[in-house]
Amino acid sequence: MSRSIKKGPYVDAKVMKKVTALKKSGKKDPITTWARACTILPDFVGLTFLVHNGKHHMKVLVTEDMVGHKLGEFAPTRRFGGHTNKKEEEKSSLHTEGG
Amino acid sequence: MPRVIGVDIPPNKRLEIALTYIYGVGRTTSAQICKDLNLDPGMRARDLNEDQLTVIANHIQKTYSVEGQLRRQVTASINRLRDIACYRGLRHRRGLPTRGQRTRTNARTRKGPRKTVAGKKSVKGMK
Repeated sequence: MSRSIKKGPYVDAKVMKKVTALKKSGKKDPITTWARACTILPDFVGLTFLVHNGKHHMKVLVTEDMVGHKLGEFAPTRRFGGHTNKKEEEKSSLHTEGG
Repeated sequence: MPRVIGVDIPPNKRLEIALTYIYGVGRTTSAQICKDLNLDPGMRARDLNEDQLTVIANHIQKTYSVEGQLRRQVTASINRLRDIACYRGLRHRRGLPTRGQRTRTNARTRKGPRKTVAGKKSVKGMK
């Protein structure tokens, strides 16, 4: 179910504060944040965010297309490096035993 | 055979059903079209005269996006998701379900036919 329009988009108060401060100063420093659920507003376009993914802060450069999405959508929380090939695994373990 | 919007050739079916052969027109839209144009949804598509066909075609093209246009819209929005590298876009890139469904089992529509991996324990064995 989507959020009620009456409430407006959810924007993290701290993020908003940092964005307005940054806009005023005219600088383009990245904003470090844990607020993954914060909606991206049109004001955020062109800014860089460092969004927490549970471990690190991922660099997210906000473009016009991203407006309306949440910050967290751009910092994946899972990493899948692919399955190990069983044959190669055996080979590598043999090598280590031999060495 | 009557033709509505280019290639679509709905056959000896009720008008209500025949219109759903157009990509982008389902039962609801089809019923709405019949209502808007004061056509009997129960009449056979072959009984439509030329005037009615043009009226239907014009009405659909004016009110809804169908066929090629709709297909382009869909691909465009998927490509947008891919380009901005959001979670849904990443799922589209990998050909996995985008709405949080489980992928340990099922999800065959997105993943395609099963690719059996030798030596992997069966689903029964995992339990």
